[in-house]
Amino acid sequence: MRSPDAIVIGAGVVGACSALALTNAGLKVLVIDRGPVASGTTGAGEGNILVSDKEPSPELTLALRSRDAWFEVNADIDGGFELEDKGGVVVSRSEKGIADLKKLAALQRAAGIDAQEVNGAELQKLEPFISKNVEFGVLYPQDAQCQPMLAAAQIMRAVRKRGGAFVQGENVISIDSINGAVIGLTTDKSKYSSPIVINATGTWAGEIAKLAGSDLPIMPRRGFILVTAPAGKIINHKVYDADYVANVASGDADLQSSAVVEGTASGTILIGASRERVGFKNDLDVSILRQLARQAISLFPVLENIQLLRAYRGFRPYAPDHLPVIGEDANVKGLWHAAGHEGAGIGLAPATAELITAQITGRKTFMDPTPFSPARFVGANHVAS
Amino acid sequence: MSPAEIKFYFDDQEVIGLTGQSVGAALLANGDRILRKTRFNEKARGVFCGIGVCFDCLVVIDGLANQRACITEIKAGMKVQTQAGADA
Amino acid sequence: MHNVVIVGGGPAGLSAALSAAAAGAPVLLLDSNPRLGGQYWRQPDESFGDQGSQHFDLETGLLLINAVKARKEIEVWSGAQIWSATHKDGVNTLRVLVNGKEKIINTGNLILCTGAYDRTLPFPGWDIPGVMTPGGVQSLIKGHGVLAGKKVVVAGSGPFLLPVAAGVVKAGGSVVELLEANKSRRWITSLFVVLENLSKIKEGFYYIKTISEAKVRARFGYAVVAAHAGVNGELDSVDVAKINRNFKIKKVRNVKCDVAAIGWGFTPDTTLAGTLGCKQIVAKDGAVVVSADSNQQSSVAGVFVAGEITGIGGSELSMAEGVIAGLSAAKFVGCKVEVLKAHRARRAKKQRFATALINSYPIKDGWKSWVHQETIICRCEEVKLKDLHYAIDELGATDSRTAKLLTRCGMGMCQGRICGRSVVDLVADQLNVSPTDTDRISAVNRPIITPISLGQLAAGE
Repeated sequence: MRSPDAIVIGAGVVGACSALALTNAGLKVLVIDRGPVASGTTGAGEGNILVSDKEPSPELTLALRSRDAWFEVNADIDGGFELEDKGGVVVSRSEKGIADLKKLAALQRAAGIDAQEVNGAELQKLEPFISKNVEFGVLYPQDAQCQPMLAAAQIMRAVRKRGGAFVQGENVISIDSINGAVIGLTTDKSKYSSPIVINATGTWAGEIAKLAGSDLPIMPRRGFILVTAPAGKIINHKVYDADYVANVASGDADLQSSAVVEGTASGTILIGASRERVGFKNDLDVSILRQLARQAISLFPVLENIQLLRAYRGFRPYAPDHLPVIGEDANVKGLWHAAGHEGAGIGLAPATAELITAQITGRKTFMDPTPFSPARFVGANHVAS
Repeated sequence: MSPAEIKFYFDDQEVIGLTGQSVGAALLANGDRILRKTRFNEKARGVFCGIGVCFDCLVVIDGLANQRACITEIKAGMKVQTQAGADA
Repeated sequence: MHNVVIVGGGPAGLSAALSAAAAGAPVLLLDSNPRLGGQYWRQPDESFGDQGSQHFDLETGLLLINAVKARKEIEVWSGAQIWSATHKDGVNTLRVLVNGKEKIINTGNLILCTGAYDRTLPFPGWDIPGVMTPGGVQSLIKGHGVLAGKKVVVAGSGPFLLPVAAGVVKAGGSVVELLEANKSRRWITSLFVVLENLSKIKEGFYYIKTISEAKVRARFGYAVVAAHAGVNGELDSVDVAKINRNFKIKKVRNVKCDVAAIGWGFTPDTTLAGTLGCKQIVAKDGAVVVSADSNQQSSVAGVFVAGEITGIGGSELSMAEGVIAGLSAAKFVGCKVEVLKAHRARRAKKQRFATALINSYPIKDGWKSWVHQETIICRCEEVKLKDLHYAIDELGATDSRTAKLLTRCGMGMCQGRICGRSVVDLVADQLNVSPTDTDRISAVNRPIITPISLGQLAAGE
C-alpha cells in the first residue's frame, strides 16, 4: 500500500486502536512500526483500564468513554485479549487518606463514576486475602483490565483482515510536507504518500514531531512491574493504595511508588506502578523491586510466600501537564498526534482513536477535544510541572 | 557407614528417604513419579531435568507451593504434597 | 575481604579457585549445590560411601574438592543461589540466597563457571512423567543413589549418552535401547585430535566396556520421536524411529520402558553472565556462549569466565580454562602471576577435541517434523505448537520475542530455560527465516535469575 488514506506510525495499542477506528470509518490505513507489534510501551504495560485514578476532568470524560469503548472493540473484533470486567478497589489506611478518598469518590460519583464506599468486612468479602488492617476502601466496578500486547495484536489482526496494511521493521526518517501540509513520509526502506499521518509513537512522539519540523514535549517516565509465579486465584480486583492516585498526578522526579496489585488471566500476579523520571535509563534497580514487594505484602500478606519471576520496565510517555496529546499538529496540517498517555495509554486508547477519527473525518466528537490539543504547547515553556 | 533413614510425608503417606537425598529422588525411589498436575490441562508431571532447571517437579512443601522437589533436601517430618495447578 | 569471587563448584570453578588461591588471592566460592563437584563430579551425602564406580575419574574430582576444602584462603558457600546480579562502574553486585537468607556480595573480580544443562527438544509426550533428561537420570544416580526406573531408553545425540547408559547399568538398571541420532562417529577420522586426547578416548572406552558387558548395543541413526503414557499417567512406551541424515522419520516401532532419558548435548547457562553485561555470542551449533579473551576475561573487565559457559567442551577443557581464569583473576587483583604458555597449550588441545566432538553430533533440522500442532512446546505454560503458529500467522509476530510475549511460551517458572532455544528455531521455521543472533541471545537473558519469594525480596536491603 503506497498511497493509503492515512498512515499510522506506531503499532502499540494507541496506534492499533486508531487504525481500527479509521478503517471502520472507511479509510484505507497503513500502520508502520520500526519493530513488531506492541514492542514499545504497550508491551511493558499492565493493561490498566481505569476510571478510579482520575479526578473529574476532561481526562476522566475520556476514560469513561474509553472504558465502554474497550468492550465495544472486544465485541467488534471478537475478543482474544483477556478483557476482564474485574473492577478496582482503592484503599487507604490513614485518616487523611480515607478523608481524601471519600472526597474524591464523591466528586467522581457526581461525574458519573460508580464509586462505592466499602468497610473492612465488605473488603474482606471482595478480597479475602487483603490485610486485616485495611478497613476502608472504594469499589470501582467500571475498572477493567486486558492483556495489552494481545489487545494490540488482535486489533492489528482485525485491521489487516479489513483491508488495512501493517509494515514492520521500517524506521520513519522524514515526514514529508508541502506548504505546511503533510503529503506522506519516508522510511529507511521506502516512501509512502498520504495526506494524513497519525503519530502514535508514545514515548518517541517528540522525535516524530521533530521530523515534521514541529515540536511536542513528550518525555519518558520509567515504571517497573513485578510478575510473580502463577499463584492461583488470590486477588480478584485491581487493588491499590490511594497514594497511587496522588502519584499519578505528581510531577516529582524522585521515585514514587505505590503498589497496584492484581491477578491476571494466566494466574500470575502483577505488582506495579513505580514511576521515575530518569529518561531512558534501563538498568534494574533492585531497591524499587523491594519497595514494590513491601507495599504489595502490606496490602496482601499472603504474597510473602509467592515468588517473583520477572521484573520489567516500561517507559511511559507524558506531557508537562500530564494530559494526553490528541489532535492535529499546530504547525503541520495533516499530522495528527495520539500520544502522551503516561500510564493510562491502554485504558484511553479506544476513545483516543474515536476522537482522532471523528476529527479527521469531520464528524461530531463525543467530547470537546480542545484540552488535549497539541496547540496548548505553542509558546509554552516546556518545563515539566 | 551407611546413610541414615529419614521419615517424611507425601500426600499424608509416610515415606522413608536417605540422608542428603532430594525430595524428588526419595519419592522416585518410593515409586512416586507424579509430583504435580498442571494448572491449565491438569496433566501429570514429574522430575524431568533433575538439577533445578526445568521447574517441572514442583511440589508443595510444608505449605509452600512451587518448591523444586529435585533440589530440596528431605528433612525428618517434612510434609510434601502433590501440587495442583498453582495452589498451595 | 575476598579478592576473587567464583560462581560454580564444578571442574572449572574448582580449578579456578585453586589456581587463584595458589597465586595468593583469597577466594569466595559460591556453589548452588549442597556438595562441591558440579554435575560432573556430583556425589551423594558422604555416608553413602565410595562412589568411584559411578565415575570414570572421581579421583581427580576428589583431589580438587579436598584441596579446595583444605585451603584456608578459600571460603565455600554451598547451597548458594544467586537471584539477581547487576554491574555498575566496575562493581558486580551478587544477591545470593543462602539457606533462605539473602546475602549481598560486591566485587570487582569475578569468575563465572556456571556450567550447562541438557539441551532438550520437544516431541509429542515429552512432558509425561518418566521422560527425563540424561543429566537428570544421572544426577539421581550419582547424587542420590536412586535409579529412576528399571527399563531405561537412553536416546538423543552426543557422547554424554554413553556415561548415562553406563551409569544405569552400574546402578542395576537395564538399558533397553541406546540410540544415537547421528549416523557415524566421524571424529575418529581426526587421528591427530584422538592421539593428543588419549585420556578422553580412554574415558569413552571405559563406558563402552560397561555397556557392552551388559549386552547393550548402541544403534546409530535412531531417535525417540514420541512418548506414550499408561493408564496411570506415567511413561509406558516410546516410539523409536529410524531417521535419515536430516533426522526425518523413516520407520517407527514402539518400545516399552519406565524411563526415557533423552538429550541433545548441552545448553550453556549464561544467564548470570548476561545480567552482568558480559558479551554473549552464538556458537556454531546455535548455543549462546559468553565471549572470552585468551585470559578467559569476558567483555566486562574483571569478570572472567570458564568452563561450559564459554562453549561446551567437557570437564578437561573446563579445568584448563578454570586454571587460566583463576590465574588471570589473581593477576587482575595484583598478584604476581602469569598465565603460562603450557596453560594455553593445554587449553588449545582440549579445545580441538571439544570442537571435533561437537562437529560430530550435529542436531539436524528434521527434528521439527516430529513436533505436531498439539505438541506442548512450553512445558511450564502448556503452550502448543499451534499457539505459536497462531501468534505468527494471525497475530503478526515476526520474531521469537513477540511470539513468546503473545503466547506466554517460555514465560513460565523456568523462564524459557527448557524451551527457549527450540522456540527460536520453531518460530524461525514458521516464518521461513534463519534465527538471528539477537533472537538467540534474547531467549537466554532474564533479569531475575532464579525465583525469590516476595517476602525474601522485601526483607533485603
